[in-house]
Amino acid sequence: MANGLVSANPRGLIARSVTAAADVLSPRSRNLQGLLFSLPLILLFLAFVVYPLYFVVTQALDRYTYEVLFSDPIYVQTVVNTLIYVGIAVNLKLFLALLLSGLLDDDSRSTRFLSAIFLLPWAIPVLPGILSVRWMMSSQWGILNLITEDLGLGTHHWLASRWTAMTALILFHIWKYLPFWTVILLAARRGIPRQLYEAASIDGADTLQTFRYVSLPLLAGIYLICSLLSMVFTMGDFTNVWLMTGGAPGDSTHVLATLAYRYTFKVGKIDWGVGVFATALPVTLLFIFVLIKKIR
Amino acid sequence: MAHTRRQFLKTAVGAAAASGALSFPMVSRAQQKKLTVWWNRGYYKEEDEAMLKIADEFRKGKNVDLDISFTIQEDLLKKIHSAMAARRGPDVAFCFYNDWEVMPKYAWEGKLVETTDVINELKPRYIEKFLPVAHVYDNVAKKRAYYGVPIECQTMHIHYWRDLVKDAGMNDDPAKIPMDWNGYWDFWRKAQEALRKKDPTKYGKVYGLGMTESSSATDTIYNFEMALLSFGGTIFSEDGKVVADQGANRDAIVKTLKFFADMFNSGYVPPDTLNWSDGDNNANFHSKSIVMTPNPSVSIPAHQFFNNPDNYFNKSATIEWPDGPDGKKPTYMVAVKTILIPKDSTNKDVPLAKDFIKFVLEPNRFGEYIKGANGRWFPAFKDVAADPFFAKGQAGKGGAVDPHLPTVTRIYLERTTRVFEHYKNPANSQIYAENVWGKAMSRTNVDKWPADKAADEAIGRIKTIVAQWR
Repeated sequence: MANGLVSANPRGLIARSVTAAADVLSPRSRNLQGLLFSLPLILLFLAFVVYPLYFVVTQALDRYTYEVLFSDPIYVQTVVNTLIYVGIAVNLKLFLALLLSGLLDDDSRSTRFLSAIFLLPWAIPVLPGILSVRWMMSSQWGILNLITEDLGLGTHHWLASRWTAMTALILFHIWKYLPFWTVILLAARRGIPRQLYEAASIDGADTLQTFRYVSLPLLAGIYLICSLLSMVFTMGDFTNVWLMTGGAPGDSTHVLATLAYRYTFKVGKIDWGVGVFATALPVTLLFIFVLIKKIR
Repeated sequence: MAHTRRQFLKTAVGAAAASGALSFPMVSRAQQKKLTVWWNRGYYKEEDEAMLKIADEFRKGKNVDLDISFTIQEDLLKKIHSAMAARRGPDVAFCFYNDWEVMPKYAWEGKLVETTDVINELKPRYIEKFLPVAHVYDNVAKKRAYYGVPIECQTMHIHYWRDLVKDAGMNDDPAKIPMDWNGYWDFWRKAQEALRKKDPTKYGKVYGLGMTESSSATDTIYNFEMALLSFGGTIFSEDGKVVADQGANRDAIVKTLKFFADMFNSGYVPPDTLNWSDGDNNANFHSKSIVMTPNPSVSIPAHQFFNNPDNYFNKSATIEWPDGPDGKKPTYMVAVKTILIPKDSTNKDVPLAKDFIKFVLEPNRFGEYIKGANGRWFPAFKDVAADPFFAKGQAGKGGAVDPHLPTVTRIYLERTTRVFEHYKNPANSQIYAENVWGKAMSRTNVDKWPADKAADEAIGRIKTIVAQWR
């Protein structure tokens, strides 16, 4: 309807817009003050959000970029790696978080102590965490090989093989971020009215049935939101992968973020780096769209 | 406290007046010529101090408002790429990655100032075999010319622990190490076996060969290119065409990949070498978990010189790459570090930028700067290279002879050298940046591909990169 009015009388709309702008810019207008005070923020927004977005879009429109990307076997492998990394790490992590939140949903002193200990990986900075894991997995000096040697299983080149390196990445991700999502789901559990559990108990429901018919339906919404949020975060994860493997061995463990970095700063092709993100954008936007819709 | 509009305006006007008054001295400074220089941070403080001194002399002598900043090479490369994309580069840029990754690409795109006049002026001083590195193609001007000013070089050397070799019951004298191809590599294998046999607890994890074979280290590229030359192969023809797939060259590539795969799979190279970055062979050498390592700079002995002179003078030594399988002396790949002048620069004062470069490169001044690097770089100029420091090296206590730098100087001055071939074809920058040969090594070492299959994949990738280059 509004569009109909606009097309019916465009001159009227322009006149109204000019009048509104004149009102805002009038020296006596309180709106002018508001505009002036907002100006720094508007300028920052234009400089750091609108312009970069414009830059990305213009860079990403070159068809040649995608011809290059799709002809690079490392790009295709990287897409597969990202799907594996995001798909397994996020889902396994959130499933475990759901179970653990049930375990920690208890007010006893020992559980509170356990919760504090459990949060430690999340509190440890990423760099020392990854360096420790790398050290543990060193083929020459690592504790993992010390154990496997003692068990008579020989030595393994943990980070020198694509699949063990990818597994290490996924396990580190889960170890690091499981506490955070557990706390979120624990908070959601605490929001479920106790009366529902009491009613289920009176009806004779066992633990599994209580979980299935009370906890799960009430946690489903927040669980989905957590999954989508975590997927968006993990899709753009650069730090963990770069520090753990740097894409090695043989560029076989790159994810989209590290590959974009490699193209941009090592190969010197900013447009290719942007292109990598542009190919991931539809998926990320879909996640964000569903997320926003779910939150509403 | 309420703040009226009048008070707000008073405050604003006052602040504006104050800032205007304070910035008054800038008016006189604005009359000075300005120059912005981005310089690669040195490995030693003596290098940076020498460059700061040069900058200060230039500032005072020429009345120039010179702004010089030092950045480590990895960050400087990103900074230069970003600045070139934003068309706001410095007036002078010196990054250790210029010769491989910056100059060929941006010269091709027509974004660098031609420096043929500077080169011609300095030509009598140059060791001319290092000059081709900067003779690159500008695809906008459609001509080949000098688009950089080469200043210093690095090449391949082999460092080893004399005390470990002695402990293995072998002759540790650098002159006694066999230099024939098979004898040379077997020597380090035997050292590993003997050490592990002698004391499994102490030497059980020591490896004979600290050969970098990862896809993230540039050392891998040096190792591969050196071995490829030993096997008689080349990737590009003189006119920049890919000839890697031609019979003899493909055979040499296959042999080279097989050489590295055999070395890795036989257990004489640390398995983690597949994940090594450029500093990791240094770290492993310093911790004595490897007997020898090839390294394309003298960073390893230089570290020992500062931290443990006994290690430098008595317990380690530097020797050459072995003679090829055909018995000929090796040809050395040399990377020549180069200064650039971006066209889209901050102050767009090309004559001043060239003056600064020539000022830096005056023999005494440049000699002091390069010696600050403690032999890590070799000068591209005859007069500076003639300094006794490069022939004799560091002076040890009681007249101890330097077992490292004289070998390095001999390589540059007496052996056949070849500058890296980015000047022939700028697509080589991407081939190196993608570390195609590191990737091929991971195919043979991790995926257990036969060498010919890995070679064909790498050659195919090189041809794709060259075909797509624009």
